[in-house]
Amino acid sequence: MNKLIQSRLLQITAVFLFLQTLIITLSPAVRARTWDVDYRLSQWIALGLWGLFVARAHYDITRKLPDADPYLFPAAALISGWGLLTIWRLDSNFGARQALWFGVSSTVLIAGTRLVTIDFLRRYKYILLTCGTFLVALTLIFGTNPSGSGPRLWLGYSDFYLQPSEPLKLLLIVFLSAYLADKLPSRLRTIHILYPTVILSSIVILLLVVQRDLGTASIFTALYTVIIYLATGRKRILLISLFLLAFVGVVGYYFVGIVHARVNSWISPWNDPTGSSYQIIQSLIAIANGGILGRGPGLGSPGFIPVAISDFIYAAIAEETGLIGTLGLLSTIGVIITRGLRAALRAPDLFRRMLAAGITAYFGLQTILIVGGNLRLLPLTGVTLPFVSYGGSSLLTSFVALLILINISNHLDIDPAPLPKPQPYLVLGTLLFVGLFASALANGWWSVIRGDDLLTRSDNQRRIIEERYVARGLLLDSTNSIINNNKGDIGNFSRNYKYVDLAPITGYTDPIYGQAGLEASLDDYLRGLKGNPTSKLSWSNLLYGMNPEGLNVRLSIDLYLQNRTDEMMVGSSGAVVLLNAKSGEILVMSSHPTFNPNHLAELGTKLQVDPGKPLINRATLGQYPTGTTIMEPFVQALTGDSTANESFMVNVYKAFGFYQVPQIQLPTAPASSEADIDLTRVSPLQMALASATFSNHGLIPAPRIAMGVNTPSVGWVSLPALGTPIEALQAPAADEAILSYLVENQTSWQHLGQAQEDESSFTWFIGGTSPSWQATPLVIVVVLEEDNIRLAQRIGQELLIDAMNP
Amino acid sequence: MTALLVLILRIALAIALYAFLGRIFLTLWQDLKQQGEFLSSQKKPGIHIHAIMDSGKDIQRRFVQSEVTIGRDPNCDFPVIDEAISAHHVKISYHHSQWWLEDLGSTNGTFIGKNQVMVPTVLITSDQFKCGGTTFTVLVDMVNNKILS
Repeated sequence: MNKLIQSRLLQITAVFLFLQTLIITLSPAVRARTWDVDYRLSQWIALGLWGLFVARAHYDITRKLPDADPYLFPAAALISGWGLLTIWRLDSNFGARQALWFGVSSTVLIAGTRLVTIDFLRRYKYILLTCGTFLVALTLIFGTNPSGSGPRLWLGYSDFYLQPSEPLKLLLIVFLSAYLADKLPSRLRTIHILYPTVILSSIVILLLVVQRDLGTASIFTALYTVIIYLATGRKRILLISLFLLAFVGVVGYYFVGIVHARVNSWISPWNDPTGSSYQIIQSLIAIANGGILGRGPGLGSPGFIPVAISDFIYAAIAEETGLIGTLGLLSTIGVIITRGLRAALRAPDLFRRMLAAGITAYFGLQTILIVGGNLRLLPLTGVTLPFVSYGGSSLLTSFVALLILINISNHLDIDPAPLPKPQPYLVLGTLLFVGLFASALANGWWSVIRGDDLLTRSDNQRRIIEERYVARGLLLDSTNSIINNNKGDIGNFSRNYKYVDLAPITGYTDPIYGQAGLEASLDDYLRGLKGNPTSKLSWSNLLYGMNPEGLNVRLSIDLYLQNRTDEMMVGSSGAVVLLNAKSGEILVMSSHPTFNPNHLAELGTKLQVDPGKPLINRATLGQYPTGTTIMEPFVQALTGDSTANESFMVNVYKAFGFYQVPQIQLPTAPASSEADIDLTRVSPLQMALASATFSNHGLIPAPRIAMGVNTPSVGWVSLPALGTPIEALQAPAADEAILSYLVENQTSWQHLGQAQEDESSFTWFIGGTSPSWQATPLVIVVVLEEDNIRLAQRIGQELLIDAMNP
Repeated sequence: MTALLVLILRIALAIALYAFLGRIFLTLWQDLKQQGEFLSSQKKPGIHIHAIMDSGKDIQRRFVQSEVTIGRDPNCDFPVIDEAISAHHVKISYHHSQWWLEDLGSTNGTFIGKNQVMVPTVLITSDQFKCGGTTFTVLVDMVNNKILS
């Protein structure tokens, strides 16, 4: 019967791991969205090894220990296989080492099934504990760290490392169970029985504290407390221990650097996301990325989490198999705990009972400690997830502990030892299950409720991956000529800037330098987040864990006129804005000097310190003094006179919208305040909008640059203006005010002005179509950061003529 | 296409994981059910108790439940009017496939022959025990115990 149950469960486990291996194999094809890829094959070795050793262990357990619990081994086989494949998928070198350790551990398990009794553990308890402690003490002198730096907790010989604190956990449990089983029936006062254990355990724990292995030290403290509680049944032991732990925690917080850092990054991780809380935040982002269903084995990006193979393997599993997977993982560990406690209650003597319960507590507490740490439920401690995490010493210890548990469970025909107080065992079980349940809830909180907040964080590096795999939408001009598109193949997409001189306006999108300009403000459309139907978004997310292809966005820019402008502006500093005075569509927006975003990687931070400020879009961010002359048409329109005193100028600026920020999908300079008229600064876009009143019968149009987006469902959808038109003047007043500025057979008007500030000179040109112009009304503004009326006039006039005669 | 195939595999993966857990619950439930059926099918032999008082009066009763208390108290399963018997004097119960005699801390004790019953003692057919001035003889029914083995 037991044999049948165990073999069925192992068959299902084998199917589960086979599917996982198969998905990892196919994962490159999903990423590249084609069958023509290099498939990942090496992890089949891990599956093969797992199958061989598990089959052999199953054969030996069912033959030599026929009455053993049939659930313990399959549950452990499932999670250790799962861990092995996850480690292999993250790093095949570590995967191969772990596979080797899995072979060693299984061999020990297989050999151990031949043991008839485990009484020798009881007899040699002092020797065992002394040897274990001695090995840990050795690390103080000969300790190394396989990664070269960090706490030196390992003993190494060439390429082989042992972390003695792992077996010491098991040895401490063995010692305490054996010692207490010997002494408890002697009817000595409890305190006399306990003090040797207090002394021995304190030595061990102090040793670990000196080594700075605080996670293991807290596991030891918790295990010691649990076993003493099981032996004595006194609740106050739990309370005293809790109080002591809290006290040590508080003292550590104020006096020990590493405790301080760990607790701080637990309580307020968001304060230091790149420093001490980097790990935990990356872990939470990975868990959020997993969501409910997970990305699929091999399809997430758990490589972004530091030490994903050991400390954060739970987060890696959560990302790839989602909440569904981690709930299954926690339940499987729950099965081990239930069956372990059952074996403890049915054990034939006190030694075996406490040993089984201690081992169960060791599996449960360590799981809760590290899973809770990954989920920010508890402060982070660098302990391993039993059976799952990378680490030979940990895996071997877990398997030996499992062997002992299976051995103890194999005595069902003998009557269990009498149990005077069942409560401590029930309390232990309840505590462990509350811990697992809290972990499941916390997992749901991060992956479902807080998921979106975490994924939109700027330190979510998965966006960079996504940009390489999903084609970004194109930026097009008004005639659908390409301004920005993509280069490279799937997996290597990067942005290609075809019309380079628009760089200060369209900006860039870059994994290192982030985003700027229209690439930033239209990002949601260009990445396909907005404009795509929700069903398509969620389907694409389900299949690929990525957004669908980005949508193309059409701008109001006219590349022909833009090119003419940029040719004339070469070598100058300044800005040009040409817009449709009626609709507000910006046909030309030019800012010089400019830069080549295709070479962003080489130019790098040089751009930021360039005195010419090429990154700044002068057309919207430039703040230029107006001087007096350029304001003449505006003043005249309000007063009928071209002179005005200072207090009246406030009214002029106000009437023509200079105190308002234009509403547009571009970063804009803050508006000047009415308080100090001498400090009034305007951007070229503001000047262009104000000037539009003379060509548009007194109305200031709402500016537009992003005109439409090409959606898959209904084709081009218009993007409305963000602002609303304002009536600055009544139509007759506006038409009349501009009469004295008309030129060229009265089809256009123009005006030039100059401004001085400190050592700098500025030249303004404003112009536009006359009110009587029947075709598209246009307006143009040129600002040069030099005293050059001829150039400003040439640019303004030539462009206006070009634009009026398309 | 690739992603769709892998999505199906991913769903199968989740199903396999929960099939594992489901299988565990199924077998545990089957085990529970089996245990319940086993216990309910267990045939418990009835017990026939014959009390003979010193006064010569005798009472006979047959019980099928698994626990019988004897005492002066009228709420006992087998009340006996005898001044030397305590209110709850003795308990006869069936467990571990046997009928057991257990003294309930009576004032005058329970005796099998000359020996006082201090610990639970197995009763077999035609055993006699004495409480106060009354002698009890038990007859255990014969049952077909095939199911038990």
